[in-house]
Amino acid sequence: MNQDINIKKVRLNCFRQSKVPGLFMLQMRVPGGTVDAKYLSYIQHIAKTWGDGNFHFGTRQTFDITGIKYEDIPAVDAYLESYIREVDASLCNVDMDTVAGQPQDWDPVSGYPTIGARNITACIGNYHCICGNCNTFELAQKIEPIIFPSHYHIKINIAGCPNDCNKAHLCDFGIIGVARMVYHPERCIACGACVRACEKGATRVLKLNEDTGKIEKDACCCVGCGECVRACPASAWTRQETKFYRVILGGRTGRQTPRTGKMFLNWATEDVILNVLRNWQKFSAWVMDYKPEYLHGGHLIDRAGYKKFKELMLDGVTLNPECLVAEDIFWQETEYRSNFNVKPLEKHHSAGPQEKAAR
Amino acid sequence: MGYTLNTAQADQALQSLRRDYRVYGPRRFPKQGRYSDTDIIRYAEIEHFGDIVWEEKSDYPAKEVITPIQQSIFYFTEDEYRASKGPQKPILLLARPCDIHAQHIQAKIYAGNGGYDDFYYMRIREQVTFALMECPGGDDTCFCVSMGTNRTDDYALAMRFRPDGMEVKVADGRFARYFDGMPQQDYTPSFVEENALKVTLPDLSDRDVRLALKKHPMWKEFDARCISCGSCTLACSTCTCFTTRDLIYGDNPEVGERRRVSASCQIEGFDQMAGQRELRSTAGDRMRYKVLHKFHDYKVRFGERHMCVGCGRCTHRCPELISISATIAKVNDAVAEIKAGMATKGA
Repeated sequence: MNQDINIKKVRLNCFRQSKVPGLFMLQMRVPGGTVDAKYLSYIQHIAKTWGDGNFHFGTRQTFDITGIKYEDIPAVDAYLESYIREVDASLCNVDMDTVAGQPQDWDPVSGYPTIGARNITACIGNYHCICGNCNTFELAQKIEPIIFPSHYHIKINIAGCPNDCNKAHLCDFGIIGVARMVYHPERCIACGACVRACEKGATRVLKLNEDTGKIEKDACCCVGCGECVRACPASAWTRQETKFYRVILGGRTGRQTPRTGKMFLNWATEDVILNVLRNWQKFSAWVMDYKPEYLHGGHLIDRAGYKKFKELMLDGVTLNPECLVAEDIFWQETEYRSNFNVKPLEKHHSAGPQEKAAR
Repeated sequence: MGYTLNTAQADQALQSLRRDYRVYGPRRFPKQGRYSDTDIIRYAEIEHFGDIVWEEKSDYPAKEVITPIQQSIFYFTEDEYRASKGPQKPILLLARPCDIHAQHIQAKIYAGNGGYDDFYYMRIREQVTFALMECPGGDDTCFCVSMGTNRTDDYALAMRFRPDGMEVKVADGRFARYFDGMPQQDYTPSFVEENALKVTLPDLSDRDVRLALKKHPMWKEFDARCISCGSCTLACSTCTCFTTRDLIYGDNPEVGERRRVSASCQIEGFDQMAGQRELRSTAGDRMRYKVLHKFHDYKVRFGERHMCVGCGRCTHRCPELISISATIAKVNDAVAEIKAGMATKGA
C-alpha cells in the first residue's frame, strides 16, 4: 500500500488511523450515549458497505466502524449527512456552520468537521435508572451545541448520580446529577431505613435522634445521592424539584499524569453548568494563545492553573445561591516518574497570550 | 338530585364547600416520588378543583386524613397534660369505593374494638363525610371486585370527574345548597364491575391446613426478596398499627408531647418484646403474618369480611416488586398442595 494520506486531516474528520496503512475507523458522535435505535441500521450499512463488517462500542460511547478504506471516506462522509443533521443539528440544535462559536461553513457531505470536543458520554440516568437524579442524555444534548464543533478538546462525562458509573471522576469536566433533599418530619415513622441506606451506600450523614424520633442530617457531608428518598417507605424524604449538579474537574487517564478529578462546583443548577461551559472555548483559546492544537482539556487547566481556569470559566456566570465553588484544587497524580514536573525551564509550557519575541 | 358542572362551576361549588368543610382528596406532589422525576399522589387539602387527581389512583391511601402518619395526642408538663385539639371544621373526604370500604374496616379496629372507642380516632371520624369519587377503573393492581369493595352507598355526594368538569349526585340533602342554581342533570354513579385482575381467596377454614401453611416453604422466598421496609403497610388502605413516641422538647425530660406514629409489622423490631425476643424474625415470617392477617385472621375476629379491600397500593408501592395478588396465588397453590398431602395421608 503506497498512499499519501494526511492522517491529521483525516483524524479531524473523525476517522482514526489503523495499523494497516490506508484503513481507518470512523467514530460517530452519540451525545449522551443515547439515540433512536433506528440509527443502528446506519451503522450496519456503513460497516457492511465500506467497513470490515464489524462494529465497536467506542470507549467514549461513539459508534465505531473499523476497516474503512481511505478512498471510501468521501462516500461514508456523504452518507453521514442525514445522521449528523438529525442527531447533531436537529436533536441537539448544533449550529454546524460554526467552529468554536465562530462562523465557518460546513459542507454537508464532508462528515464531521472537528474531533476536538469529544463525544459527551452519559450513563442512562433517570430516564431508566432507579438511582439516577437527572436525565443525563438530555443534558448532554444541551451541552453538545456549546462544545461542538470545535477543535478545542474537552471530554465531558455525565453521571446520573454520585455512584458515578460513568466516571465523571476520570474526564476533564465530569458532571454528576445530585439531589437536594427535603425532609418531611410529619411523614417520618422513625424506622431508620434512610439512616441504614446512607450508612451502607453513602456518607453516613443521617442519624435517628431517639429523643425526637426524627432524623438529623449532617448536610455538609451529604453527597446528594438520594438513597434516603429511595429507602423511605413513607415519602418523608423527597428530592427538591430543582436539579443540581456536581462538577468534577481535571480527571484523566494517560501515559504521563493520570489522576482522579476533584470537585470544582457543588450544587450547581443546569443554567450554571451550561453558562460555565459557554466559557470553555474562550478559556481554551486564551491558554493556547488562540491557536488550537491537539491538547487535551485537562492539560489546558494545568497550564493556566486552577485559579486562572476558575476566573475565566466563571466569567459572567451568576451562580445559584446553593452553588459552592472550590477555592483551590490539589490534584493527586499517579507518579509514573518521580519529580515528573521538575525539568529545564525552557521545557516548561506557557499559557495565555505570548509576546511575539517569546514565540 | 344531580348536576352537571363545567370546571368553573365545579370550582365555585368547591369554594362554597370549603367555607364549611375542609375538603381532602388525592393531590399530585410533583417530583416527590421514590425515583427521580416521578410524582407521588397523596391525600391533602383540596384548594382548587384542578387539584383533584381522579384519573389515577393515589399512591398513599385516604386513611392518612383520618389517622395521619403522625399526630400529637397530648402535651405534658411534669404531671399535667392536655390533649391536642381535634379538627375544628368538618371534613369532606373524596374517596373511591375501595377507600370508603377501607374506612369501615379501620372503624372496626378503632371504634368498639374490645368495647372501647379510640378517642383520637373518633374525634376525627365523626367529622368526616364521604364524597364518592366514581372510579374510572383503577389499574392492573386493583382487585376490588374480588374483595367485594367495588360498590358503596356510604356517601353524601358522588362525583364523576371529567377533564372539563364533573357530574354530581347529592345523596345527602344538606349538601344541595352548595349547588344552588347550577345546571341539573340526573347522575347515578357507576361502579367497577370487573377488574382485569381476579384474586381467588384461599380457603383457610381448616386449622391443620393453616398450621401447615405457616410452616410451608413458600414464605422463604420473601426472606430473599422482601427488604422489610414497610412501604406496603404505609400504602395499605386498612393497616392501622401505630406506636407511641414521646418527644422531649429540650434538656428537661418533663416537658414534651406524646405522638402517635404509624408502625409496620413488616419492619424489624415491630414485635420485639422485653428480652429482645421477636416472634417473627425473618422477612418471610413477617410477610406470612401480614398476608394471613389480611386474608384470614381479621375476618375471624371481626366477622363479615377480609381486611384487604383490593386497592393494590401495597403492590404499587413495593420497591422490590412483590405483588400481593401473586402472593395470594402462591398461598392458593400451597393450600392445594397441603390439602392433597393431607388427603393422601388420610387415605
